Parts: sequence; structure tokens; C-alpha cells
Amino acid sequence: MTKRIFRAIFYVTLVILIAAMVIILAFIRDFNKNNYREQMKNEAEYIADGLSYGGISYLEGLPKDSNRITWIDEDGVVLYDSQADASTMENHKEREEVQEALATGRGESSRYSTTLAEKTENYALRLDDGTVLRISATTLTTLSIFLSMTQPMAVALVLALVLALFLASKTSKHITKPLEEVDLEHPEQALVYDELSPFLRRISAQNRQIQRQMREMQRRQREFRTITENMQEGILVLDTRGEVLSYNTGAMRLMGIDSITEKENIYTLNRSEGFRTCVEAALHGKHEEITMEQGGRSYQLLANPVMEENTVVGAVLVLFDNTEKAEREKLRREFTANVSHELKTPLTSISGFAEIIKNGMVRQEDVPRFAENIYQEAQRLISMVQDIIQLSRLDEGDSGMEKIPVDLAAVAQSAISRLRPLAEQKGISLQTDTEPAQIMGVPHVLEEIIYNLCDNAILYNREKGSVHLQVKKEGDQAVVIVSDTGIGIPYEEQERVFERFYRVSRSRSKEVEGTGLGLSIVKHGAMLHNASLSLESEPEKGTVIRLIFPAK
Amino acid sequence: MRTRFDEQLDQLHIELIKMGALCEEAITAALRSLFERDMSLIPVVLEKDGEIDRKEREIEALCMRLLLQQQPVARDLRTISSALKMISDMERIGDQAADIVEITENMHDKNFEIASSIHIHSMSKEAVKMVTNSVDSFVKRDLALAEEVIRYDDIVDDLFAKIREELIELMRQGGTEGEVYIDLLMIAKYLERIADHATNIAEWVEYSITGVHGKMDGGEA
Repeated sequence: MTKRIFRAIFYVTLVILIAAMVIILAFIRDFNKNNYREQMKNEAEYIADGLSYGGISYLEGLPKDSNRITWIDEDGVVLYDSQADASTMENHKEREEVQEALATGRGESSRYSTTLAEKTENYALRLDDGTVLRISATTLTTLSIFLSMTQPMAVALVLALVLALFLASKTSKHITKPLEEVDLEHPEQALVYDELSPFLRRISAQNRQIQRQMREMQRRQREFRTITENMQEGILVLDTRGEVLSYNTGAMRLMGIDSITEKENIYTLNRSEGFRTCVEAALHGKHEEITMEQGGRSYQLLANPVMEENTVVGAVLVLFDNTEKAEREKLRREFTANVSHELKTPLTSISGFAEIIKNGMVRQEDVPRFAENIYQEAQRLISMVQDIIQLSRLDEGDSGMEKIPVDLAAVAQSAISRLRPLAEQKGISLQTDTEPAQIMGVPHVLEEIIYNLCDNAILYNREKGSVHLQVKKEGDQAVVIVSDTGIGIPYEEQERVFERFYRVSRSRSKEVEGTGLGLSIVKHGAMLHNASLSLESEPEKGTVIRLIFPAK
Repeated sequence: MRTRFDEQLDQLHIELIKMGALCEEAITAALRSLFERDMSLIPVVLEKDGEIDRKEREIEALCMRLLLQQQPVARDLRTISSALKMISDMERIGDQAADIVEITENMHDKNFEIASSIHIHSMSKEAVKMVTNSVDSFVKRDLALAEEVIRYDDIVDDLFAKIREELIELMRQGGTEGEVYIDLLMIAKYLERIADHATNIAEWVEYSITGVHGKMDGGEA
């Protein structure tokens, strides 16, 4: 803008300057011409006077270096010429000024020389005797005046131009200075030209609007961040090139990365095959999901394309840890498979025995033996179903299991008294060593735990072995210890004995009836009571199981 | 504002990551087919090898375009020239994975048990780890990791020598599976080559970062 104003001022000045010069020049020319004519007229009249008194000799006495003087008679014959020999000159009758003078008494004309640089002004005067006196003066033309003035004019022009430049620059700066000083953050405070105030008001209003919108956007962004940051799931937003636009800490945690630099490509974070195909599918507009295994954990990845008017503009990846879910699923599948298998075995026996009897292939005296077998298998089924019910109750958690103050010693005695017949039958000696220990618990679950532990200790014992049950207080804690002199549990299997349906050394399980659920019930019962359960066992020596109940 | 050149460089980086990932997958699948006797993995490995070859040509074309059209200098030039070298090493890793499954296919009908005394298991683990680490060092532009890979090469070389001794010992004891021993020795040699290629990749990573190539004056591995 400054430049434009400067240029405008400068050009205007230039035009005015040139116009002024031209006009002045014209005036000078006009003035010159008139002045000259007047002089020549005076001179002619003066010489005419002189001629009438002195004749031709007067003319000859005049100085030769002034204006040219020619005397012509009425027929145009030159009688005298101050600068040439009169006798050799041609007839002047036809000359414009002479004609005019003969007709009207005086005549004027001007003739340009061939170079145009000079001009001859003629003034003719008719004398009383009818002859004509002509004065010729050579003057400079306007062009030559102009040319002769070129140098001073150029100097003046240059000076004027320099002045114009300086002033134009000053003025334009002066005009634009207030505009430059306008503070666009606060345009309403600026005191400049009135013509600008509508713009400034508008800018000010728009400033306020932008600030409002910025605040709103920041608020929304904060909101979005707060939501995503508090999510357990990982979220990654990608653009079409696969560069990360936005992410949350959940995503970093799940992908096992410490930092994501701005605009980092997703493939530098994870390049595994499943992940790649998933991301690529999303960037090609297809929803895709996979389960990834990484570092022993299982992750579910959902990749969704972000569409805008039928074109993919990016993708959103959602990542969550479903290790526990996958494990639970696996456990459930195993449990179902085990249950059906375990239930099927006794049922097959029952069905087999019953079929033989039905077909009449059994002698009457053998029927009781078969019936006994069927009864035993049915009993096994019943106890297994009971165990499963018990386990599923424990799985459900606290519902229907109200905790009341219980004396562990009394519960232990009750369990032992139920087991005594079995112990006697197997020839195992049962020793108890109990002291009162109050805890908060579910009586029938506690009795089931101790019963199952002692039952196992009796069943998996050697001949003439012993089982020792101890209930004691250790500080605030109540401790139950069941030790036996039994067959023990192989080291590599010790971890697994608490799993459902897991039975040590399958060959032996034929000898001893069992459901494989007893220790699982113990484990879940202990969990219900927040008790810690530990197992020490040495094959062929015996097993010690220790239950520690926390303080009341 | 990103220039077209920057965009193409980024694209080169991503394509190299993809190619590296394919190598990891090919070698891992090849070794699984060997140890788990899973013949269904053989076509998977061959398919991956083909894909690696296609990627090599693709990346090569991209590098050529970059070199001709953009005439890069200094660091960018190093990146592109090391990319050109890296892809040939990656391509070789793919080929060797394919070679391993070819041997696996031959071994399939023979009834044998890879004796646990032979270190081939640990050697394959180390080789895969080297490939993974070399690709990782490129992805993360991690100089320390690249140097670690280069140092690691000796361990794999030692393992190869050890496996060779073990197999010779087995043959001397009159093992009946002579053919299998030879096959195992070949596989060990391929693994040793794969480790060398991983080392080369790591060296090119080092070069593209520092401008100094470790083996410029030494012999080829």
C-alpha cells in the first residue's frame, strides 16, 4: 500500500511538473514573438524616417551587422540590401510581406530555414513614395529555444524529481503509518481513519468468535482426552498413510511401547502379520478384527475405517486385553469336556449292566452282584453331581453363603467323626490335635474342605499309614494342617492337583474311587474364606496341606 | 509442508518395514514347519518368499525413482543406497527360508526325532532373534541394537560349529539316520547364512545412521 501511494504521488508530481514546464515554455515563446515584432516595427519606422531625409546613403551608413535591411521599389526591384549586392538579387514583388505591404501599407511574414532551427521574421513597410522597406531578422525557433533550455531544464527536473521522491516517500509512509500500528488483537482500540472503522469492528467481532470457537474446541478435545485416557482399551487414530494422528496411553500400554513420536507410522510400532492385514483392510474401507498374541497375553484388535463421502480418510484401531476372557473361555471348554467325560463313564457301566440283565443273560444268583455294581456307579454319579453343584455354588461367590463365627476345631471334629468308619475300614490311624480357633466362615463349606482333605489323606495312604489333623492358632491366624504318610504327589504334578478333574497318575485312579473334584472344592472354599493354601509333598513319603485363615 | 520427496522417503521406510516383517514371518514359519512337522506351512513360506521377491523389485524401483528424480545427497542418499543393499539381503533371507522348507519336505517321510542334544533349536531361535532385531534396529533407527546384532553373529557362528561337531559325533556312533544328519547340517548352514544376512542388514542400518560402514575395508562375511 505504501508503495502504491508513493507511486501515485510521484507520478502526479511528475505529470504536473512536465505540464508546468510546457505551459511556461509556450508563454515564453508567445512573449518573445510579440516583443520581437514590436521592435522590428519600431526599427522600420525609424529607418523609414531616416531614408526620407538621407536617401540611400543613409541606409549605407547604417551598421551592417544588425538586422537585414532591404529596400525595394514598387515593381519589386531591390534597390538596396544591407547584406548582399542589390543588383544580383531577384525580383521581390512576389514576396508575401511585400505584396501585403504594397496592398495595405505594411506586411509581415515568417519563413523557416531548412534546418528549422532558425526562423526569419520579415516586416515590410510601404513608404510614402511607394517603395517598400523590409527588415528581416533571424530569430531562434521554439524548438531551438527549447533545445537551448534542455540543460537547465534537466537540472531542474532532476532536482524536482529528487524532491518529489523524497516527499512522496514521506507522505506515503505518513499515510500508512496509522494502519500499520493497528493492533489486530484489539482492533476496536485503534484510532485511525473513520473509513476503516467498519472493517475494524468486523475484525474485532470475528476475533471474539474465533476465540469462542477455540475455547469450545479445546474443551471438546480435553473432554475426548479425558474419556480416552481413562479407558482400559487402547485407541489409535490413523490417517490414510497409516500415520498415528491420536492415541491414548491405553494403546501404548497394550502395544508395549514407551513413546509415539508425532506422525509416526503405525507399522513402526507393530509389524506382525495379523496387525498389518487388519490395518490394511481398515485403510481399504473394510472392518476387520483379530486376536493377537503378544508376550503371553492375548489382545483383541478391532480396526474400523473412517469414511467421509465414500472415501476412506483414516482408520480407528481399538485394542483390548482379553487374556482373562480367553483363559476363562478355555477353562470353561475344558470343564465341559471333562464333566461330560466323567459323567459318561459311570453311565456307560450302568447302561451296560442293565442291558445284560435285560437280555436275560444273567443268572438269577448273579443279579445282586450286578445290582451292586449299578448301585456303586450311581452313587459315584451322585457324588460327582453333588461336587459339581458345590463347585458351581462356590463359583457363584457369596450368594447363599453367609459367614458366621465358626469354631474350626468343632468343624474338624465333626468331619473326622464322619470319616472314622472309612479309616477303620482301610486300617489307617486318625490322630487329631485341635485347639479352639474362631473364624468367620460358612460352616458347611469349611467342613467340606476338612472332610475332603482328610478323605484324600486316608484314600491315598499306604497300608497301616496314619493321618494327622491339626487345628491351632498362630497369632491372629487360624491354621489347619493335614498330613499323611501316603503315596505323595509327584513333583511335576503338584501344581495341577487343584485343577478340576485332575487326578494324579491315571493308573492309580482306577484303584481309588474319586471324582477329581475334591481338591478343586478345597481350593475354591479356601478362596471364599481368603485362606491361603499350600502343599508340600514327597512321593512315597506323604503330603502336608496347610490352610491359613486370616484373622477375623 | 511435506514435500513429495519426504513422502516418498517415508513410503520407502514403510515398505522396508513390511519387507522385513515378511522375512521374519517366512523364517519363523519355515522353522515351525521343521520342528512341529507342520507341512501345511510349506506353501505359506513359499508364498511369503514370492511376496518378498515382489517387494524387492517394488522397493528397488522406488529407490531408482528417488535417485533419478530427486537426486538426493548426504543422509538421504545414504538411506536410499543402504535400502538398496538391505533389500538384497532380505531377499536372500526369504530364499533361504524357502530352501529350509524344501529340506523339511524331504525329511517329512522319514521317521526321526531331532535329538534334543543337538543345538539346532537354540541356533534357530538365535537366528530368528537376529533377523527380528536387525529389522527392529532399522524400524527404530536404533544404533545400539544394530551393533548388538553385529556382535551376535559370532554366537551363531559358534553354534554352527558346535552343531557340526555334534552331528559328526552322532554319525561316528553309528547313527542310522545319516541322511537326516546331512539335512540338519544343511539347515544349520542356512541358519548361519541367515544370521550373516541379518548382520549385513544391521551394518547397513549402522551405515545409514552414522555414514560409516563397519566392513567397508574388511572382507565380506
